[in-house]
Amino acid sequence: MSVPTTPRIRDRWRTWRGVLGTLLLITAFAVLMVGVSTPRPGGYLDAEGTGPGGTRALAEILADQGVRVEQVRTLAEARSIATPDSLVVLARPEYLMDDDLLDRIDELPGDRLLIAPFATVLDELAPGVTEGSYEEIHSREPGCGMREAVQAGNARMGGSYYQVTGPDARCYGGTLIRFRPNGRTTTIVGSGEFLTNGRLIEDGNAALAVNLVGTRTHVTWFAPRIPLGNEPPATLEELLPEQLTWLVWTLIVAVGLIAIAQGRRLGPVVTEKLPVIVRAAETAEGRGRLYRARRARDRAGHALRAATLDRIVPRLGLAPGSAADTIVSAIAVRIGQDAGQIRSILYGPAPADDAQLVALARHLDTIERQVRDS
Amino acid sequence: MALTGRAGLIALAGAVLVVLAPQPGLVFALLLGLLAVLIGVDLALAGSVRALRFQRQGDNALRLGDSAEVTLLVENPGTRRVRGRLRDAWAPSVRATPREQPVDVPPGERRRIVFRLSPLRRGDHQAVAVTVRAFGPLGIAARQGSHQVPWSVRVLPPFLSRRHLPSRLAKLRELDGRHPALVRGQGTEFDSLREYVAGDDVRSIDWRATARRHDVVVRTWRPERDRRVLIVLDTGRTSAGRVGVDPTSGDPTGWPRLDWSMDAALLLAALAAKAGDRVDFLAHDRAVRAWVSGASRTETLSALVNAMAPLEAELVEADAPGMVAAVLTRARRRCLVVLLTDLNAAALEEGLLPVLPQLSARHQVLVAAVADPRVAELTAGRDGAEQVYDAAAAEKLRGERRRITARLRRHGVEVVDALPEDAAPALADAYLALKAAGRL
Repeated sequence: MSVPTTPRIRDRWRTWRGVLGTLLLITAFAVLMVGVSTPRPGGYLDAEGTGPGGTRALAEILADQGVRVEQVRTLAEARSIATPDSLVVLARPEYLMDDDLLDRIDELPGDRLLIAPFATVLDELAPGVTEGSYEEIHSREPGCGMREAVQAGNARMGGSYYQVTGPDARCYGGTLIRFRPNGRTTTIVGSGEFLTNGRLIEDGNAALAVNLVGTRTHVTWFAPRIPLGNEPPATLEELLPEQLTWLVWTLIVAVGLIAIAQGRRLGPVVTEKLPVIVRAAETAEGRGRLYRARRARDRAGHALRAATLDRIVPRLGLAPGSAADTIVSAIAVRIGQDAGQIRSILYGPAPADDAQLVALARHLDTIERQVRDS
Repeated sequence: MALTGRAGLIALAGAVLVVLAPQPGLVFALLLGLLAVLIGVDLALAGSVRALRFQRQGDNALRLGDSAEVTLLVENPGTRRVRGRLRDAWAPSVRATPREQPVDVPPGERRRIVFRLSPLRRGDHQAVAVTVRAFGPLGIAARQGSHQVPWSVRVLPPFLSRRHLPSRLAKLRELDGRHPALVRGQGTEFDSLREYVAGDDVRSIDWRATARRHDVVVRTWRPERDRRVLIVLDTGRTSAGRVGVDPTSGDPTGWPRLDWSMDAALLLAALAAKAGDRVDFLAHDRAVRAWVSGASRTETLSALVNAMAPLEAELVEADAPGMVAAVLTRARRRCLVVLLTDLNAAALEEGLLPVLPQLSARHQVLVAAVADPRVAELTAGRDGAEQVYDAAAAEKLRGERRRITARLRRHGVEVVDALPEDAAPALADAYLALKAAGRL
C-alpha cells in the first residue's frame, strides 16, 4: 500500500512559522531601532538636519509660532511655493553658481534673506552691495537701530563684511545689512552660524534668528545639497522611456517563472552506493611503471629470464631448479646453437640500457620459440 | 506545487503589453495579479495527488542482464481528474524506463502503468518513491507530491556459464554410465549383486556370494554418490579486482573477480547437484557473509543464487584463519572444499598457507582462481622499452602466481587457474576429474 510522503501545507506552515515569526520580529526590531536612533540626514543649514550644523531647531521654534518653513532643494520647487508675501532664505548660496540660475532666483517673489553670499550672488541679487574682508565670528553687539537686532542684543556674528551705499540698516559691524532695493526687503548676513542647532541657545542668537526669519508666515528655505545651475545633462535613467523599466521588470518575472517551471524536479534525487572500480591488472601496470621510472633494467631482465626458464625447463625434461650448466647445454643440444651465446642470454649480465633490454626480451622469445618448435 | 512554461509565456506576452501601454506600471501590476489568480485557480482545480492510492505488481527477481516489468496501479479516489506525469524513482543503476510517463486517471478509476527495469548491478534494489505532478485544467500550474510504494527487486547472478552445463552433464553421464558398471574402477563404490549373464566380465564374479547361492553372481559398481561439496567464496579485497570484459554490459573495465567466481561456483553447484552430491555454500571475508546448507538437490541452485545476489566485495583483507575455522565448524565430515579466491602471492602467503594444513588434513581442498587476461596481454608486449618493462612486471606477477600454485600443490591442494571465460568449465572439469578419481 502506498503512503504519501510529501508534507501537507499545514505541516509545512507548522514547521516554518517559528522561523518566519522570528525573522519578522528581528526585522521589526531593527527597523524600530534605526528609526529611533539615527540622526536625520542633512548638512550645514539644513532645515531638517538634527546635527549641530542643521537648523531643525529654528524650524521647530518657528513652526510653534505659526510660521511654516518649507525646505526646497531645487529652483523648480522653490518657484512652485514662493509667493509675494513669503520669505525666501538662500541657505547655501555657494551652490548657486550659474548666472542664469541666479537671474531666475531673482525673479522669485517675496522678501529675501541671503546667508553669507559672495560676489557673484551679490551682483545678481543685491546690486550695489560689495563684499568686504573676512571678519572673525564671535559675539558682537548690534550697534545699530534695527529693531530686530536691538531686541535680540548680542549675537554670534561675523563672516563676510558688507558695504553698501545707503542701506536701511547695517548692524553687527557690517555683517548684517538690510535694504529695500525695489520694494522687497533684502537681508544679508555674513554667517549662518547663529541659526544652527549648535549655536541657537547662545546669546541672542535665537531671538535674532526668529526675528529675521519669522517675519512672514511662510518661509521657503532654499538649501540645495548639490551645486545647481549649469543643468547637468540628463542621466541615462531619465532618457530611457518609462516602459523600458517596466519591461525589464516583466522580463525578470517571466524568466523567474520559466526558471521555476524548468527547475522543479519530478521526484527526489536518488543516491546509490557505487562499487569500487579497481582493475586487477593495475598492480602489474603500476609495477611496470615503477620499473620504467627507476630504469630497473636488472629487475626487469631478471623477471623476463626467470619467466622464460620457468617455461623452457619442463619442456627440456629437466627438473625445476636444475643447474644453469645443465639447462644451457640441454638447450644448445636441442636447438643447435652456441652454448656461450645461450648462456649470455639466459644468465648474462643485466642489460645496460633500454635498447639492450628490448633486445634481451626478443632473444628470450626466440630461444623459447625454437625450444618449443624443435 | 510546480509551474509549467505557460506561466512564463503569459508573462512574456504581458511584456508586449507593458511596452505598448501608456501606463506600464499599472499593466505590470495587473499582469502580476492575473498570473497570481491563474496559478491559484489552476492549483485549486488540479486533481489531488495526496489522495492517490498505489499498488504494485510484477517481478521480484531477475537475472543480471535481463529486464523485469513492474506494474504500478494508480487509483484516484478523489473527485477531480488527475492528469499529469508520473515518475517511479529507483536507483540510477536499476535503469527504470521510461523515466517518467503520462498519467490520466478519471475520478474513481484506476490505471495501470508499466515500468521496465534493466538493472546494471547485482543485489537487492528498493523502489524509492512514486512522484506525480497533476496539472490544472489551464495547464499553468500543477500539484506535485510523492508516495512511498515499497517494492524490492532482487537481481541474481546471471549464471552465464550454464551454457557449459549440458556438455559437463554428458561427461558426468559417461562417468556414471547410467548402467551399473561391472568393472570396479577408481571413483566407484559397491552397488549390488546380480546373476551372471553371458557376456559379463568373469573377473567381476563374486565367488563367495556364488558359493552361498548355488548360482553365479557378479558384483556391480557405481560411481560415488552423496559426497559433500563445500563452495567457499572469498569476498575480500582481492575479489573486487576487475578482470576481463563484463559479459552482461560489455563494460571494458571488466567484471569483478567475485562475479566470475560466482559464475564458476554456480556451474559447479549445478553439476554437483546433478551428480547426486550435496552442495553447501559459504561466503567469507572477515566474517561469514552468506551460508547455505542442507538445500535439497533440486533447490540447491536457487538457494545459491539467492544467497549470492546481495554479496559485494568488501575492501578488507580476507581473514583466512577465520575462514578455515568457519569451514571446520560447519563441515564435520570429509568433503571437497572449493575455495574461490585469487592466487595473490602476498595475500595467500600471509593468510591461507599457514592454516592450510588444518584444512587439507580433513578435507580435499581445491583452490580456483580467475587469471587476468590483461596480464597475459602485457607479457607479450615487445614494442619499445616501455612495453618490455610492463612485460617484465607482468611476468614477475605470473611467476609469483606459478610459485604459489606449486606451493599449494605440494600441500595436496588442487589448483585451477583459468582465464575468466574458462574459469567455470575448468572448475567443472576439475570436479569431474576428482570424482572420476574417487577423491571426493
